[in-house]
Amino acid sequence: MSIVTVQLGQCGNQIGFEVFDALFIDSHCPQRLSSKRENEAYQASCKERFFSEEENGVPIARAVLVDMEPKVINQTLSKAAQSGRWKYGQHSSFCQKQGSGNNWAYGYSVHGPRHEESIRNLIQKEVEKCDSLSGFFIIMSMAGGTGSGLGAFVTQNLQDQYSNSLKMNQIIWPYGTGEVIVQNYNSILTLSHLYRSSDALLVHENDAVHKICAKLMNIKQISFSDINQVLAHQLGSVFQPTYSAEGSFHYRRNPLGDLMENLVPHPEFKMLGVRNIPQMSENSLAYSTFTWAGLLKHLRQMLISNAKMEEGIDWQIRPPLPGLPSLSKMSLNKELHFNTSIANLLILRGKDVHSADLEGFKDPALYTSWLEPVNAFNVWRTQRAFSKYEKSAALVSNSQFLVKPLDMIVGKAWNMFASKAYVHQYTKFGIEEEDFLDSFALLEQVVASYCTL
Amino acid sequence: MWPQVGRRGPSREAQKAPALWRLLFHVLSPRPADDAAALPAPEAQARLVKSALRSQGYPRPALVQLPEDGSQGSRELLLALSWLLARGPLLERLLAQIRVRLGDEMPVCECEVLASPGPPAPRVEADGCVDIRHLQWLMGKLRFGWRNLITSQQEHCALLGKVHSYTRGCHSDRSLGHLSVTEAELLRDPEGGRQLLRRLESENARLEAALEWRRRELVFWQWMDTVLDACPPEASQPTFLPRIPERGAGELELVARELQALQEELQAVVETRRAAWEARVGGWGPGWKATQRASEEAVRQELTALQRAWERGGGLAQPHGPHRLVRSEAGTLGGPGLRATEVIKALRSQEACLEAALRQLQGQCRQELARLVGALPGFIWILPPGC
Repeated sequence: MSIVTVQLGQCGNQIGFEVFDALFIDSHCPQRLSSKRENEAYQASCKERFFSEEENGVPIARAVLVDMEPKVINQTLSKAAQSGRWKYGQHSSFCQKQGSGNNWAYGYSVHGPRHEESIRNLIQKEVEKCDSLSGFFIIMSMAGGTGSGLGAFVTQNLQDQYSNSLKMNQIIWPYGTGEVIVQNYNSILTLSHLYRSSDALLVHENDAVHKICAKLMNIKQISFSDINQVLAHQLGSVFQPTYSAEGSFHYRRNPLGDLMENLVPHPEFKMLGVRNIPQMSENSLAYSTFTWAGLLKHLRQMLISNAKMEEGIDWQIRPPLPGLPSLSKMSLNKELHFNTSIANLLILRGKDVHSADLEGFKDPALYTSWLEPVNAFNVWRTQRAFSKYEKSAALVSNSQFLVKPLDMIVGKAWNMFASKAYVHQYTKFGIEEEDFLDSFALLEQVVASYCTL
Repeated sequence: MWPQVGRRGPSREAQKAPALWRLLFHVLSPRPADDAAALPAPEAQARLVKSALRSQGYPRPALVQLPEDGSQGSRELLLALSWLLARGPLLERLLAQIRVRLGDEMPVCECEVLASPGPPAPRVEADGCVDIRHLQWLMGKLRFGWRNLITSQQEHCALLGKVHSYTRGCHSDRSLGHLSVTEAELLRDPEGGRQLLRRLESENARLEAALEWRRRELVFWQWMDTVLDACPPEASQPTFLPRIPERGAGELELVARELQALQEELQAVVETRRAAWEARVGGWGPGWKATQRASEEAVRQELTALQRAWERGGGLAQPHGPHRLVRSEAGTLGGPGLRATEVIKALRSQEACLEAALRQLQGQCRQELARLVGALPGFIWILPPGC
């Protein structure tokens, strides 16, 4: 089953390119430990999901590129074409001649409706190329102006057009020290709109990825390309083919659907985060060996201490003792900065994957009281290794990890809104104060729901 | 096992009872168990047979009293078997369930699915508090499961369409014209072909056994008559009530009382309406009586026609059950069988009926909720985002 990706704005297009590239390179990575037949099945599964075939054999990404100015799209298209590995469709992109001043409301209320039909036709064409559609990825930034506003509009449109198909928005959470003064307004508007029309919001935090580049990958001058590659690696480790069941050797037909069924069935809890282990530069990789026990121990601690990478983990944070009544358990967790999960999906790839001991993740103390580990925890195991890592683990979790950042953004936005600062930029293009209030209400509800786990 | 039942004489009692319990289990269990490891223990099989027969209305109480260890009762079990055989086309039904299917099939109605009991529902202790978030989680899982199922179904159909159109003209049977997935696999993978051949051969053996049974059937019935005659006359039949678990008894009484109250209410309303109607109509002439009778007759006929149409699955003339998919060129009349457009139309009308029923039930739920809320002052309902 295929996934159609909608790349929105500068952010979405640059990341989208890296994602397709990472998927392609991994699926063609020479594998010493897998049989030829297995490799071919893996490649075919990845290819069917993310690429379509053209006559001369060069795979075409199942993607639609949208931006209000041509520069980034042209760069992306040529980068893909030059690589010689895969490319974008000739008529899969939509852009305008000039941008429009980085304004969320303009993107949502003006660009959106004006270009609705053209964008819809592009997406429709891409959908028709699929034998069967699993759903959509929408890659966009959260705090940007036009791209984010347009992204919110496009997601809503997809909800109306393809109500049975799944939608996952890959959202880029901005740096805490962002430059755009209205980025908090943009963030809350984007999030609240997406919460209503999307099925899952997979959040990638720029700060976290930046740290990974600096500390783990040892990159001195971190460019956007480096950040995007780490991000793409994370996504690839989740969505590359996995076996459909323990003991099966067929690859899962619908990973997006299975992931959503396991992680985001509750309409109030849609925020997901990804953690990967190990992550390191290629040079270091040659000198490292890993055990599943070590990897999983670190990953578990990353989860409960809300660490984003395997360095600098706070090992003091422990799960609470069992037997406490749930209310006091909640306040204790808060004091201890313990990150409670609702549900977790662990994806293991590589050598001896079936020997990995998962008991640590089945501990009820990790989870909220109303969902038992047997329902809350799922694991996908595949022998075929990912990228150059002999063993690798990815954890997609629905947990409290975003509560603090979200609360902070809502708080800052509210302070600005209380003095009506810059609100006219939005009301000028049809986003009324009512819409702001609705967004605040929805996000406060989300924060409250996650806090009372 | 089939032909052997006829061949066994009324001797070797002790070996027959367990065999008959097993036979009845296989006949009555919802899906014929292919995998021997999945069979429950003989006592459990016997319990299942007893409950299945009871639910189908088996009239002889002696069966219920049989010990479940298989030490006795072969005569009673034989009678049960013959009762099942006499009731309906048991043999044909079983053969149809396990026959080898060469074509790509799709059901056109839900009868089979609705009739089978399905997996047992997990027992959940509803005494304690249930966190509403857990319920919402489960509802959400169901919704996603449904969406994923629809997507899988679409994929299945798209791929079937591809196989059918690519293999146009390959089938030796002109009325079919193209290959099914099984047939295409046959050509692609010789090992699969050999397995299919083995399955067809065992199906042939089953059919031959069935034919042999038919040849000897008369003897069987004559023999069963003697068996029945040889049974001691039944004592006064105790009323055969199904066992109700203790907790259920209280709830059952509640429901019975509610039903009683409803019935009395209905009766009262009907009486007043009828009286009012009679009062209005009473003064009219004898000609009216004739018209009344005629309209009553017309209504009755329409009602029976509606019922029949509903039972037949929305008016489909063909029998129920799975149908083989055959793709034909646009414009050609094709052979016998249902047209996809007719099936789609019938299914759409069923869908509309079910949606109307769902809306009505939702309305009732909302009214009930409103009533409950009204009883508790000071409540504010906050709907989740997206509602």
